[in-house]
Amino acid sequence: MADTISNEQPAPRPRQRRGLRPYLLALGPGLLAASAGNDAGGIATYASAGAEYGYGLLWAMVAVTVCVGVVQEMSARLGAVTGKGFSDLVRENFPLRMTALIMLTLLLANYGIIASEFVGIAAAAELFGVSRYIAVPAAALLIWMLITRGSYANVERVFLLLTFGFFAYIAAAFLAKPDWMEVGRAVVQPQIAFNPGYLLILTAIVGTTISPYMQLYVQSSVVEKDLPLDDYRYTRFDVIAGTLSAGVVAAFIMIATAATLFPRGITIASAADAALALEPVAGPYARVLFGFGLLGASLLAAGVLPLATTYMLSEAFGFERGVSRSWEEAPVFLGIFTALIVLGALPALIPGLPLFDVLVGVYVLNGLLLPIELFAILALIGNRELMGEHRNGRVHNVVAWTIAGLVSLLSLTLIIVTVLGWFGVSFA
Amino acid sequence: MLFLAHLLGASVVGKQGEPVGTLHDLVLRIDQSLYPPISGLVVSDRGRSFYVPATHLDQLNGKVQLNSTTIDLKAFRRRDGEVLLGRDVLDHQIIDITGRRLVRVNDVQLAPVEGIIRVVGVDISPQALMRRLAPRILAEKIIGRQIINWADAQYLASAAPVQLKVSYDRLAEMNPVDLARIVDALSFRESAELVAGLDDETAAETLEEVSDERLADLLEEMDQERAADLLEEMTPSAAADILEDLDENVAEGLLARMEPEEAADVQSLLAYDEDSVGRILTTDYVTIAYGATVADALDRLRSLDEPPDPLLAIYLTEPLARDTERLLGVVRLRQLLISDPRTPLAEIVEDDVPSVHPDDRAEEAARLLAEYNLLAVPVIADDRFIGIVTVDDALAVLLPEIWQRRGARVFG
Repeated sequence: MADTISNEQPAPRPRQRRGLRPYLLALGPGLLAASAGNDAGGIATYASAGAEYGYGLLWAMVAVTVCVGVVQEMSARLGAVTGKGFSDLVRENFPLRMTALIMLTLLLANYGIIASEFVGIAAAAELFGVSRYIAVPAAALLIWMLITRGSYANVERVFLLLTFGFFAYIAAAFLAKPDWMEVGRAVVQPQIAFNPGYLLILTAIVGTTISPYMQLYVQSSVVEKDLPLDDYRYTRFDVIAGTLSAGVVAAFIMIATAATLFPRGITIASAADAALALEPVAGPYARVLFGFGLLGASLLAAGVLPLATTYMLSEAFGFERGVSRSWEEAPVFLGIFTALIVLGALPALIPGLPLFDVLVGVYVLNGLLLPIELFAILALIGNRELMGEHRNGRVHNVVAWTIAGLVSLLSLTLIIVTVLGWFGVSFA
Repeated sequence: MLFLAHLLGASVVGKQGEPVGTLHDLVLRIDQSLYPPISGLVVSDRGRSFYVPATHLDQLNGKVQLNSTTIDLKAFRRRDGEVLLGRDVLDHQIIDITGRRLVRVNDVQLAPVEGIIRVVGVDISPQALMRRLAPRILAEKIIGRQIINWADAQYLASAAPVQLKVSYDRLAEMNPVDLARIVDALSFRESAELVAGLDDETAAETLEEVSDERLADLLEEMDQERAADLLEEMTPSAAADILEDLDENVAEGLLARMEPEEAADVQSLLAYDEDSVGRILTTDYVTIAYGATVADALDRLRSLDEPPDPLLAIYLTEPLARDTERLLGVVRLRQLLISDPRTPLAEIVEDDVPSVHPDDRAEEAARLLAEYNLLAVPVIADDRFIGIVTVDDALAVLLPEIWQRRGARVFG
């Protein structure tokens, strides 16, 4: 009798989720995606912003963190509702020429970041007195081998562990005893200057904090992990928690350099300068701590990004894909992957390259390309056929479009101010 | 030769050549036929789109001409069982069955078959993409196509936002390893839909090769009755490995739903460590009494409903207490085939074969197989013969994990 009864019961929900625990369990993709934003270029940008403008850009950090939260949430929702990755959605819902444009901008943006990671590796190596002409090719080869041999996942945790060194910035910010009243004022009081330098660093902050690959990553992990739509609130919590934690770390990097380097008039030209801000915490070990952090963050991203970019392109254009495929089976896939690593490592080998300026420069490019990706996300999330009742609500829509508008405005302003600058017009 | 990319956006004219609008899309009726027919046109005119049944189509070559001057301008509405060729097929992923891979449709080939326009193939060439990207003048200079016959292409029902009955039967011809690679490469929802459309045997064989993460998700989310059926189809050791990776509650639920006999097999395997011989042994082997002849042995093998695969040897045993047997020796299949049928097995038996204990590490079994040039090694516990470890099961233990879960995506 018991058997018959149990047979007629509906299948039990696999996971019983109640209370706080499911929220904690859900922490993952969102957290990782947002933390990935604090890579070599991110650290360079935040540290430069603090060293050059003191607390002057803290407000932007807060504003940008809100933007990241909104954009990341939309990407996660796109994944949860459609069950498809970004490339799939773009190819299937936009005209082919638009798809090509979007993929091209994402390729450019990601290539810039890959190059910046190798620059980060070069900078870290030089902190330890190792020539970058040895370190960069070695790192490129190591990454290529680790990924194609499939053993990358094993070392990923080591790289991740190294990046924990950056948490020292939080301690450094406190030890530097900043004037917290002033910090608080800077957070709530936006100030904008219309000179290219300021706009450049502002765009870089936007570009490094809202990196397209973070959206790609969060969406594909939601799709891969099969997070059911009923449990979407947990995913949203993960995304928001991740954004906040990454934002806090970034803000503290800025506060630490603003409190230590800004008053002494030190602008950041090299990794060694950025490491200076950690001296209150680590003393003579500041360089080591910073060096390992930079190396870990750079290797982590340099390992993931070429592969992610290759998957993105292969899915959009339908190339045979998979790292464990042979050259004969997947020539385009392995070709793109190898090219991204080789070409990504090249800029770091140019003699006399101002490494830190390049890092910031890459994120300026990212910030300039960002509007195209943002409008693509907005178009997808507003698509009734795809999203049904999960489209943005009215308020949400206004906020999201405003963000996309502001980012575009910033990009345009930077371009205009820079171009006018060439003709001798300045707003300073 | 008709190609969709060429047709979309073309102007549609009436019988006398008067303009009606532009071709917005073609409606495809997915039915049992090998080459599904076009059932209608979606024509758009000044922002409105309306439906024109294919019966009104006069010609599609060069220009789109209708066969009447008066047409009923019915507003277009999506219906179940109907797919829009431009919206739901072009630019979407399909499975290339003979090519054993997932491809994107860059163009669609149409052909009139006995008066009805049908989809006959898809173009997956990069040239087709270039033609669509390039300006019109340049486009004609780009040549080259790579056509997949529609009969060798598997359309995924999830690509269209309507209810569709798509048959996945043709996928059963594919090698499970190739199919598993495709299941891994698809998004979760597409893969779940595909597995749901496979017959139990194909689904089970495929799932054995799918990456661990994807497999756990698939089994946890599918109908639990079906999940239990699929586990029954698998080899007990594969089922045991899978159950161990699942959420504990789900695993227990599935075991409870499985046939008691199969569930017991799996449970006895679960008692052993994951890397132990007990986990990879198979109980699929043939025994015979010591006094038998070669002819007896061959008869016994031929009389089996489902002889073991691979069939490597026949095992000579004597009964112990309670349904258990003691192993006395092994007669390899080769010996069996080349010996005179009247030979007693006792004359050709190898009685000093090495054996392993179920608690031994699986590598130990692999080492013995290599060292003694064996294809299978018997497993003995407390004098009882409980199973064999075959060389391919041992090989699976030795190969690095990358080989078992190749094709798993990092992200994209």
